[in-house]
Amino acid sequence: MSKRRREQEHFTLPFSKRLRESAGIPIDRLSSLSNELLLHILSFLPISSLSVCQRLSRRFHALSGDSELWKRQYYTQWVRPRARRLASVRRSTLPTRTEYSPKVSTWLDHGHLAEEGKVTNWKGQYRLRHNWSRGTCRFREVELPPQPFPPVLAKLCGAFVFTADSTHGLRAWAAREPEICLAKASFSGQAGSSEMLPTALAVSHSEDSQEIVVGFENGHFHRYIMNTETSQLVLQSSDSSSSSGAITAMALSSPYLLMVSQNKILSLHTLQTGPRGPETPGGAESSRELASLKADNMVAPMTLCLRKSTLDIVATVVYSFFHIGCGWSLGIQELRFDKTGRQLESRLTSTVDSQYGIRPLQGMLPSATRRISTTTGQIGDGGATVPTTAAILHKQPPTSMSYSHPYLLTSHADNTLTMYLVVSNSDSLFVRGGQRLWGHTSSVSTVQVKNRGKAVSVSSRGNEVRVWELETAVPSLGTRRPLREESSIQINPENKRENCRTEAGDLDASSDNSREMSCGRECIGFDEERVFLLRERTIGTQLLECYDFT
Amino acid sequence: MATPQIILTSSDGVDVAVERTVAERSVLIKNMLEDLGDSGEAIPIPNVNEAVLRKVIEWCEHHKNDPPSTGEDEDNRRKTTDIEEWDQKFMQVDQEMLFEIILAANYLDIKALLDVGCKTVANMIKGKSPEEIRKTFNIQNDFTPEEEDQIRRENEWAEE
Repeated sequence: MSKRRREQEHFTLPFSKRLRESAGIPIDRLSSLSNELLLHILSFLPISSLSVCQRLSRRFHALSGDSELWKRQYYTQWVRPRARRLASVRRSTLPTRTEYSPKVSTWLDHGHLAEEGKVTNWKGQYRLRHNWSRGTCRFREVELPPQPFPPVLAKLCGAFVFTADSTHGLRAWAAREPEICLAKASFSGQAGSSEMLPTALAVSHSEDSQEIVVGFENGHFHRYIMNTETSQLVLQSSDSSSSSGAITAMALSSPYLLMVSQNKILSLHTLQTGPRGPETPGGAESSRELASLKADNMVAPMTLCLRKSTLDIVATVVYSFFHIGCGWSLGIQELRFDKTGRQLESRLTSTVDSQYGIRPLQGMLPSATRRISTTTGQIGDGGATVPTTAAILHKQPPTSMSYSHPYLLTSHADNTLTMYLVVSNSDSLFVRGGQRLWGHTSSVSTVQVKNRGKAVSVSSRGNEVRVWELETAVPSLGTRRPLREESSIQINPENKRENCRTEAGDLDASSDNSREMSCGRECIGFDEERVFLLRERTIGTQLLECYDFT
Repeated sequence: MATPQIILTSSDGVDVAVERTVAERSVLIKNMLEDLGDSGEAIPIPNVNEAVLRKVIEWCEHHKNDPPSTGEDEDNRRKTTDIEEWDQKFMQVDQEMLFEIILAANYLDIKALLDVGCKTVANMIKGKSPEEIRKTFNIQNDFTPEEEDQIRRENEWAEE
């Protein structure tokens, strides 16, 4: 009896529901789900669908923009492929996890995205990576008035771009709004102002301030602090190096400063980090020279790199020299100091072996030995015979070089870049493999590489800027296998076409020679969000160009 | 081989008999049986009506021999919205039933069924324009045309 009654209920129930539906507006069953369930559904969608869903309604706009959803997408798109690749390369060493973990600290090299107490906008981060990978950016430029003494030097550090020239002194520009000059510090006021021609610039980033050191033609160097909050540049100290020659290159890793002068003197200084503020300018004890070495075999262009660890300071000098067999090569000198400035060790290596395709046998990683056997087969018998022709032959000196351990990059007039991997461990210093990088369609004038293997290079003639992800090139190092195309991407500003149309006529009309003159006068600075270029467009006119990927 | 049966009572008061192993695909029921012990009494399922309950049991019957999911495929399952053929057929129901199944799977804590349901909905969204999606699900557009246009422009980069 009771059972039949229940069955009757069962039959009437859907009917009443149907009635309700036909009576009013159709029911939005999807939106009546809880946020939790909707997010679960959205988690199965690709980003193209997520962005479509953001357009549905206010609720879907919020849900589809959920940072956790985008964080997962970020991981899938940008972190996992890399983790997979690394897992296959270094199978023998530490295991690499490839499954998603909400803890960013377990992601490879992505700790910077999850700073303590800071909320990461993962959709924004995804978009940033996406734009870098496509070369998509917004372009803007600031014209700097013609200088009597070019070049102006530019470095990007934190939220600022720093330029230095004899007329305007040191200037800080807002990275977000490069039209705005935030702070200024004049160089004159010391000795004769004509002597204060800046020749080198180095910056170092700390928590709440930027430290800037400007090296001058007369061998002096000034140390400034840029206060992030007050946007003020304050001169901290003014010193002279041991030699009176112009300072040609500097590297700063606070509180250590490495510099090379025209007289080929390499010196390491400690900068006093004592009380900040205006009370100690020009103090004689504000910087101390730790070591000074004579370096005779260094030919410009050269680059300096300073790494500090808890135990020691590693100063690296990379310079170019001419080798009979393989043309222009690079020498790498690594000097190790303890914290008091006592020199512990000096090691030297060069790229010559790599250019011939010979692999150094000492200190070889166990995972790499398998691949050796296959390549030495091509070369000859166990590496005993030296191949007669170099695989990488440079007839002209590199146009620029950049070293950010372990990546060493040189740019060349033959439209290529060459990449080397420097291995530095307690036993040895050697160069692992060399690889030509193709992509540019004209002479490459400048290159800069930064940590995590991102590099930016410029061809001044073709007005071509390329972004490289060097890590993808590492597995093919030393093999003659050509690199996969997608390792670099040309920067393609969305708004540059209209911007430059008017100028383009002038540029093409002016002879190519004048544009080539700008070679070596370019400076690149870039960070996670932007690329800055300082270049001379027509003689005398300097342009500060900003490529914004956000 | 006869496995012990248990009785589930739907929200509309219908008793449905089901094999215990099948019912234990639901983590909710499994935990209840473990906590209370099998007293032989009917277990009330107050959030699920008979039609949906029978549908859910049908799914559990078919999948009773599936290996339990491990943490590793937690990641893999999101990579694709591919649904195996039987499940696809199973999900060929009207929207009312589809969402009832999702709600029931969520309530009964049957992860694999919840995923199948959510993937089915995801597939109904994929590749459609906002207008088509609104039409499919009767979603009310509460944006002004200006707002909608602005969001469209902001998201252009991701829609390819």
